[in-house]
Amino acid sequence: MAARGHVQDPNDRRLRPIYDYLDNGNNKMAIQQADKLLKKHKDLHCAKVLKAIGLQRTGKQDEAFTLAQEVAVLEPTDDNSLQALTILYREMHRPELVTKLYEAAVRKVPTSEEYHSHLFMAYARVGEYKKMQQAGMALYKIVPKNPYYFWSVMSLVMQAISAQDEKLSQTMFLPLAERMVEKMVKEEKIEAEAEVQLYFMILERLGKYVEALEVVQGPLGEKLTSELQSRENKCMMLYRRLERWAECNALSCKLLLKNPDDWQFYILYFDSLFYLIDQSWAPPQEGAHSAEGEVHASTAQAISFMEDRIVTEEAKESKHLRGPYLARLELIRRLRERSCPEAQQLGEPLELMFQFFVKFGDKPCCITDLEIFLDLFTPDQHVQFINRLMEAVPLGAPGEDGVALPGDTRALQRHLCVTQLSRSLGQQHALNTEGKLGLIKELKAHYRHGLQFGKSCLKTELQFSDMYCLMAAHVYIDLWLETGDQNMLWQCLGLLEEGLSHSSSNAQFNFPYPLYIYMFPISSWRHLILNFKEYLLTRYAESLGQFAAASQSCNFSLRFFHSNQKDTSEYIIQAYKYGAFEKIPEFIAFRNRLNHSLHFAQARTERMLLDLFLEADTSSPLEESVKSMSLCPEEDDIPWDSLRDNRDLTVLVSWNPKDRQLNEEHKQHSLEDDTLWLRLRSLTLRLIGCVSALTHPPTSRNSEKTTENGVAAKPSSLQSLLSQLENTLNQATQFTEKQLQYPFVGPVPSRLAQALSSGCCQCQLSSLQLPLHLQELETAGLDESTELQTQISNLFKSLAVQLQDMLEKCKGDLLEVKDDQSKPQQFLLENLVYFVETVCIVLWVSNYCGSVLRPLKSSLQKKKKKKKEVSTVTPPVLSAYQEFSSSLQSLLNQALEHIKSQEISLTALKLGALSLEGQTQSEVRTFTKTAMDKVQSSYLRSLQEIGELLKKRADTLKSLKI
Amino acid sequence: MTTLRAFTCDDLFKFNNINLDPLTETYGIPFYLQYLAHWPEYFIVAEAPGGELMGYIMGKAEGSVTRDEWHGHVTALSVAPEFRRLGLAAKLMEMLEEISERKGGFFVDLFVRVSNQVAVNMYKQLGYSVYRTVLEYYSASNGEPDEDAYDMRKALSRDTEKKSIIPLPHPVRPEDIE
Repeated sequence: MAARGHVQDPNDRRLRPIYDYLDNGNNKMAIQQADKLLKKHKDLHCAKVLKAIGLQRTGKQDEAFTLAQEVAVLEPTDDNSLQALTILYREMHRPELVTKLYEAAVRKVPTSEEYHSHLFMAYARVGEYKKMQQAGMALYKIVPKNPYYFWSVMSLVMQAISAQDEKLSQTMFLPLAERMVEKMVKEEKIEAEAEVQLYFMILERLGKYVEALEVVQGPLGEKLTSELQSRENKCMMLYRRLERWAECNALSCKLLLKNPDDWQFYILYFDSLFYLIDQSWAPPQEGAHSAEGEVHASTAQAISFMEDRIVTEEAKESKHLRGPYLARLELIRRLRERSCPEAQQLGEPLELMFQFFVKFGDKPCCITDLEIFLDLFTPDQHVQFINRLMEAVPLGAPGEDGVALPGDTRALQRHLCVTQLSRSLGQQHALNTEGKLGLIKELKAHYRHGLQFGKSCLKTELQFSDMYCLMAAHVYIDLWLETGDQNMLWQCLGLLEEGLSHSSSNAQFNFPYPLYIYMFPISSWRHLILNFKEYLLTRYAESLGQFAAASQSCNFSLRFFHSNQKDTSEYIIQAYKYGAFEKIPEFIAFRNRLNHSLHFAQARTERMLLDLFLEADTSSPLEESVKSMSLCPEEDDIPWDSLRDNRDLTVLVSWNPKDRQLNEEHKQHSLEDDTLWLRLRSLTLRLIGCVSALTHPPTSRNSEKTTENGVAAKPSSLQSLLSQLENTLNQATQFTEKQLQYPFVGPVPSRLAQALSSGCCQCQLSSLQLPLHLQELETAGLDESTELQTQISNLFKSLAVQLQDMLEKCKGDLLEVKDDQSKPQQFLLENLVYFVETVCIVLWVSNYCGSVLRPLKSSLQKKKKKKKEVSTVTPPVLSAYQEFSSSLQSLLNQALEHIKSQEISLTALKLGALSLEGQTQSEVRTFTKTAMDKVQSSYLRSLQEIGELLKKRADTLKSLKI
Repeated sequence: MTTLRAFTCDDLFKFNNINLDPLTETYGIPFYLQYLAHWPEYFIVAEAPGGELMGYIMGKAEGSVTRDEWHGHVTALSVAPEFRRLGLAAKLMEMLEEISERKGGFFVDLFVRVSNQVAVNMYKQLGYSVYRTVLEYYSASNGEPDEDAYDMRKALSRDTEKKSIIPLPHPVRPEDIE
């Protein structure tokens, strides 16, 4: 933040040191310096604001705000104060105050271009489109520059886009915007490309495609030069909208002649061709076919156009393009779909794809190219196809193990491609166990052999044969899923370790497979931009009880989302400045997509739950924690109806056949799965907020403040949240009964199914129901509530039983050793985590129960003393509560013992000593052992974290005494 | 066999397969938005027929016109491993050069890690030459030392005498470049 450059101003010189301190992060000195300056120059307002910035940055928000308001009410008009206040308000996340500031400034200095422009930007930051429109116009009146006029026009367009009422957009905002531009056109005042772009945007949104076309093709269109093929692309879009297929077809032809590799124009060419055929389009008697030139309107023309493209391509000596060859296959597909016999004229797909392979088989993309045309085959052609391709793969003579290997990277790539295609065709899946094991052996041989070609590869490069390794891992997983043989899993993990050791930057070896089994540090992962990594990490770290790692990844995500909220408005403003008008709605949609991100809501909710589980009532009281996270039980801040699934699942490589690939149903199911889980978690969180508010009701003195912080819970919200939780649980149970399996390379299941089977959801619900009954008891008193007391006592008893059941489900060995083989049973860890989470909730609820029962008990004792009765009967609810607390004690002891014994046996376990079936090479054994060690240490880490938490919880049991 | 089109915000949700590459920088969202807001025409993505993103180029126009330094700059260029060896990077570079020509640039420049031999050789093939070395331009990460960059240039038609690409005799420090 630099002071503005009026060197002569003595105030600038005085303020300089404060700016410097702030810039260097020395806020304390900045405050001191400001104080010093203010003693001498009381009216140096800017010094006050700078001090406020210092205060804000040292966490004294309230003081900062008060100080800033002292200056703001004076309605300053000096640059220094205005800029400093703008910065302060932005840091306070109060952009709306900036608008007030500049509204006052332009009132006082109505001719200032600068202040008007700041006002416009301030409105832009808060999305006040109508005021932007006015501010833009006001600017234009002061300084008639075109950009200002068009800022105003764009703000009208934004009003149209954001209007709830589509009719209002179409009949008022957009026509007004159109008229404003037309006025400039008539007066021949259009200057910039951006202005034409905006005109185009308006006409397009109004559906005035003919007019838009006239603009693009007319003199104004000549300004559209920045983007390559800008006019052509726009015309093409309009032809499609207008269904002018003749023009569409002719233009695609022209563009394809220019660039025969641009796929989008092949698609448009075919689309338009078949529309024209269906319409029996005929060329006019005389003159040109269309405004864009010659039109193809028959199958014969299309076939010859394709063949011409290929002839041209063949004539080239090198650098053949793939486009024409693939377009020919696309045409065959489309002709077949229409049952056109002419499809045969183009050739037999098997032969054409073979020729393609001969030409391009050594390119890594050959698999993605051919994959999309595999459905042109009948199933009985599959074997023939693969065999035919193998003819074009130069391999050496088979070695001792019967595997023939390639002599160079090109041959390797060809062989790899055939192998990938064979997997895509389902041939690998069709093999029996023995066949699959044989295949793995072969893939491994190719993998290890191929490493020699990459000896000089840099660390940052992938190995040529990496994909063999990954595919072998996939086959291991196929086997594991089919047979349940744990050994397959270990081999898979070992193989991935081996892959990593040769190609450390290949992310495919790192995730997501190992995560299903264990947690590992992920610093080696590449940072992925939109949180897929964090999504996976939170999911697995938390369920496996690695709370620190889970918190860390939640934090990372939250930082990302929060900074996005702040940053996007800055770029919206930039887009105005640079006239990138078409980007403005795009940025706003992007911001919404991120704000409505499922993962954002997940990270928010899980972060709060984690904080509570880890800290509340151990390091600080529950109500403090609830208050500090501004958790409001009445308020649901998750946009349930518009949650967006932003996961990028395409990042995971697989070559599974179509019927085993991820489909829309899986994605939908996964979204539903995650949403249900989120709903359960969010309701649980809000209910915990309720329990906290009940235990520590806001006292009347500062009730206003607590309500502001959102902890005042009405009993009604408890009731309603409970019934929502119950409903959601029912939905969840029904949902998990569907048991849809995701493909292994696809979305990961949420924690829902395991949570339900652990019994934690039901148990948490039961415990959260207790407060309702205790509230009743509080009103009724002990004397006339026998029935209620029995009810509560039974609830306590049943809760103890449920907890015991949950604990039983945690017992067993995390690494079960049987017949000299070990089996990871991570679900036991998950159950243990659910047990601990439930214990936390039960303890908070019990704490509330205690707070209700304690005064009841003491008043009972007082009564007894007065009457001097020596009654031996304790009211049932009191004894039930005491019984319950002691059973809690014993449960926690049991759990702690179990964790301890698991830690001991895990530490003692020598996994390396177990037989590793089929692994004779010592090097390979080492990799499998590395994987086993990682699992072992991951589980130990989990046990430690869970144990520590449970111990801390056990320590709070004392406070339950009444 | 590619669809070349303008990069949009939504592409940020699915370009991970390209950015997994260890030499491709993944910037914060603001960085990409800045380019989209200021130089949208310079941000182009290539899409495969199956919808996968194959690669992208991101660049800008900058420099003083009066000092003959107005030029196009390549900020990022990356192609996913499975779409390499197709000439895609060359195609994207050609487009960026064409845009820079239209804007009346004198040259196109880019920075590349000295160790990234594959890229350096490719740029040489495309007509670029090393104009200067920038010492310790890439700051250290993961315990590796700082790394120098080559500032590589190719003259555009406006620079008829190819003055802009005459190599500097001495390396420069990052703070000396504008």
